[in-house]
Amino acid sequence: MPWLTPHVGAQLVDLGSVMLLLTCFAIVAQRRLSACVDLFALQSVFLAMTATLVAFLTGTRHIYIAAALTVAVKGFVIPRVLRRVIERLNVTRELVMNVNVPASLLICGALVMTAFFITRPIISFGHLLTRNSLAIALAIVLIGFFTMIARQKAVTQLIAFLVMENGLFLGATAATYGMPLIVELGVFFDVLVAALIAGIYTNRLQDAFDSVDTSRLSELKE
Amino acid sequence: MTVTITTMAVAVLLCAPFAAGCWSLLIRTSRQLHLVNLGSMGLLVAAEILIARTVLTQGAVTAFDEMVYIDALSSMILFIIGIVGLACSLYMRSYMDEQVARGTVAPNRLNLFFFLFHMFLLAMVLATVANSLGVQWVAIEATTLATTFLIAFWRRRESLEAGWKYLILCSVGISLALFGVVLMYYSSLRVLGDVSSALNITQLQAIATQLDAHILKLAFVFLFVGYGTKVGLVPMHSWLPDAYAEAPAPVAAMLAGVLETVAVYAILRSRGIVDQAVSPEFSGSLLALFGLVSFSIAALFLLLQHNYKRMLAYSSIEHMGLAMVGFGVGGPIGIFGGLFHLVNHAFAKSLAFFAAGNIHQRYKTVEIGEVHGVASVMPGSALALLVAGLALAALPPFALFASEMQIVTALGTSGLPGGWGSRGVSGSILLLLLCSLVAFAALLYRITGMVWGAAPAAVTRGEPWSTGHLSLVLLGLLLVGLCWVLPSPLRQLLDMASALLGGG
Amino acid sequence: MPIPAILSAMALSVAHALALLTLAPFVVGLIRKLQARFQCRRGASLFQPYFDLAKLFRKQPAVSTATSWIFTATPYIVFGSTLTAGLLVPVFVSQVPLSFAGNIIALVYLFALGTFFLILAGLDAGSAFGGMGGSREAIIASLTEPAMILSIFAIALTAGSTNLSAIVHKTALMDGVASDPVPRLMALAALFIVTLAETGRVPVDNPATHLELTMIHEAMVLEYSGRYLALLEWASAVKLLVFLTLIANVFFPWGIATAPTSQALAIGAAVYVVKVSVLAALIGLIECMFAKLRLFRVTDLLGVAFILALLGLLFFYILQD
Repeated sequence: MPWLTPHVGAQLVDLGSVMLLLTCFAIVAQRRLSACVDLFALQSVFLAMTATLVAFLTGTRHIYIAAALTVAVKGFVIPRVLRRVIERLNVTRELVMNVNVPASLLICGALVMTAFFITRPIISFGHLLTRNSLAIALAIVLIGFFTMIARQKAVTQLIAFLVMENGLFLGATAATYGMPLIVELGVFFDVLVAALIAGIYTNRLQDAFDSVDTSRLSELKE
Repeated sequence: MTVTITTMAVAVLLCAPFAAGCWSLLIRTSRQLHLVNLGSMGLLVAAEILIARTVLTQGAVTAFDEMVYIDALSSMILFIIGIVGLACSLYMRSYMDEQVARGTVAPNRLNLFFFLFHMFLLAMVLATVANSLGVQWVAIEATTLATTFLIAFWRRRESLEAGWKYLILCSVGISLALFGVVLMYYSSLRVLGDVSSALNITQLQAIATQLDAHILKLAFVFLFVGYGTKVGLVPMHSWLPDAYAEAPAPVAAMLAGVLETVAVYAILRSRGIVDQAVSPEFSGSLLALFGLVSFSIAALFLLLQHNYKRMLAYSSIEHMGLAMVGFGVGGPIGIFGGLFHLVNHAFAKSLAFFAAGNIHQRYKTVEIGEVHGVASVMPGSALALLVAGLALAALPPFALFASEMQIVTALGTSGLPGGWGSRGVSGSILLLLLCSLVAFAALLYRITGMVWGAAPAAVTRGEPWSTGHLSLVLLGLLLVGLCWVLPSPLRQLLDMASALLGGG
Repeated sequence: MPIPAILSAMALSVAHALALLTLAPFVVGLIRKLQARFQCRRGASLFQPYFDLAKLFRKQPAVSTATSWIFTATPYIVFGSTLTAGLLVPVFVSQVPLSFAGNIIALVYLFALGTFFLILAGLDAGSAFGGMGGSREAIIASLTEPAMILSIFAIALTAGSTNLSAIVHKTALMDGVASDPVPRLMALAALFIVTLAETGRVPVDNPATHLELTMIHEAMVLEYSGRYLALLEWASAVKLLVFLTLIANVFFPWGIATAPTSQALAIGAAVYVVKVSVLAALIGLIECMFAKLRLFRVTDLLGVAFILALLGLLFFYILQD
């Protein structure tokens, strides 16, 4: 494809990363849990598309495998697990948020700027193709971290953790064209098991506390 | 390809826990479970003694096409894993039997317990011997996953809460560490080109001076914060007291003694690489700062505790902070002191948790105020608690005193990294001594309060000899013995390890 | 300017205004028809809004004696400001004759002028509905303004000028894929949400409702009748059309006439009608898919628009090579 010059390719990769960031913001702005899960699945699909694009432009074959795994595991399996958890727990929305939506959005905007600021010294000598994606990846990690603090339902905290992992995968793809395959497989395995464990855990929490509102987890104190 | 004894030993190291774990799922009787556990642990110890011998004579060992890398530092950590693991397996024999007899644990859940325990062991061993930083990361995250259900094993509300906090906080922290690993890989790729072995410790150590300082600084910050969450450094420690208090005693012992040490190992490995490209002051100041803060805050919180398991947890944070200070200050004394401190602390803390577990089983309470007269009720455990408590309080005849003094000496001679001036150095020494005095007083007061006095009438007296006491004896002897004589292989190992970390 | 040029400029402006005025009710009718089709109804005729306007102009207005001059002046002010704003936006020619008179900021504040008077008129009649509608509209207007300005600034930065004609002309002349896709995408998303908010479409406000709990724009014009109501309805339709034109021609300007030759003008007009119809269809689809948000959730949505616009601006600077 003659029009797919490196410059255009870089722009497309940037576009993909920004779509990921937008889904992050959408997750932060959401109150319905099922919408959060769908957005996470969408984000994983965007991630796989961006990774495939990077693989195509740089000719690194093993990213294809990682991208396929992303779609399979994070695009289908984990959202299914989460949806089943949500159904069984009968929680649908986040009733009380530690930080309200407009303030969360502003803080996330500030986190994006912080991420760019932090990665500025190392971005300036990166590959042309994926420079900005590393900063966006760090931004996604920070936004996931913030979401975990700002939300109370256990399921939302789990989704925030998975968003962090997505950001890390984007960072790995952007900065290093993917980690060594064995590490990628290990990370996927870890994430899958973590999601399953957390899913089982929320059931136990529900049984013990009759809610998965982590603000109720306040019995253990100093 | 000649299969040397060392390679076989490494294979045993990795396969034994894995096989034992899978086998545990199928076994029916608890006696067989314990036998399998002890067997695999014994194999583990034997394998690592073999490997340690090879390392002492030959230096570093690599195996399986450079996927496994064991040098003196890893060997030392393996030694800790082995000894504490063996003691734990012995202890579990009596502890779990008692729990099953009481009906707290359904016999079929015991399979799950042992399976998770073996996976936990496997993950820790893998984290110690892996050559690739990425595989090390995967293993450490796997330890978090394996131990979540172990912590929440009793399924009480508090246990679930502690387990959830643990899962979330540690996973988040370790994800930050992954970013650090990615950055390390990034910097290494720029020198080595696109090679999958660019994350290997051997490769990174070889090219360390050519790596870019900026990237490595950022990478180290992320790695330190990430793995520091696992170590329990303040302010990432909030999961630790809850998890240690709610977990079953053998699990708490393994977490406190071994897992923290493995996390420290991960930090030290990255530090070793980073220090060759960036000046040691940078990482040193970070380590020392967090260490000091952890030490002080933990000592203060130690005063407030009325739950003896939480007290031991804060003592863990305190000692890890001290070890961090030792590593941060650097120099031969500082690093040797830090490593020695890790060894001693592992033994002392696991001994303390075993004794605490026994007390918990007998007295059925974790409140310090309700436990009295352990000496008359359970003399063996009382002695163990006393020995461990005095050791943790860093009393002179015990080895922890020696390592603490080494660290303070190093602080005095080398000063704090990062140019804090003599005021800062004397201030921090004063702070250290003050806080250790506070911790000393608190621990001593509480433990003597528990050990002596009149026992409540409702508690059954007498402590029949069981396999669990073997572990108490083993660890107690080690603790007492190490303060008189440091066996030469161990000393050599420690020397080599500290030389590797730049203290030579 | 030589006289023929002035005459042709005037003719172009008149054609511009006529185009806006005639096309606006059609767009509203199109949205309603598409909505009806999606809901499996036949729906009213496509030209029903024209018939409605004609009917309203024929009727005699009833004005409450409790009102002041603001009440009777507002329809004209709103109509005039909206049409003037419309004249600033390129419709089928990229260089609008009135482009010297105002840029993006003038556009935003002309709309604000209309909104301001509408709020006042709502309060003027002294009825509860008017006051309620006015206060709700004030919340929404104060939240959409920063988002709109930031998103338009993001575009202005990519084009290097705040003059709408200059922006559209420059973008239309570039061929191939536009540069800076990321800031443009985010500004587009922000501006789309702002359009829905400013023109009173679902999910911000339901234009067909007259329930007290849900009215915003309808509440403010509740007291009007006859030709006043006709002017206000027409103005609201023109406002919708101007926003759609803004989106269509600033973000997707290809096809617009860059020189006032008759052939380019014809193509430009045809392309413009197609683009606006597509956008209207999209709005109709969105109105069917989403429910109206509660007023407190509208602030969340507008916060999202603001953040998107802010990020678009940020990314313009950061993502430069």
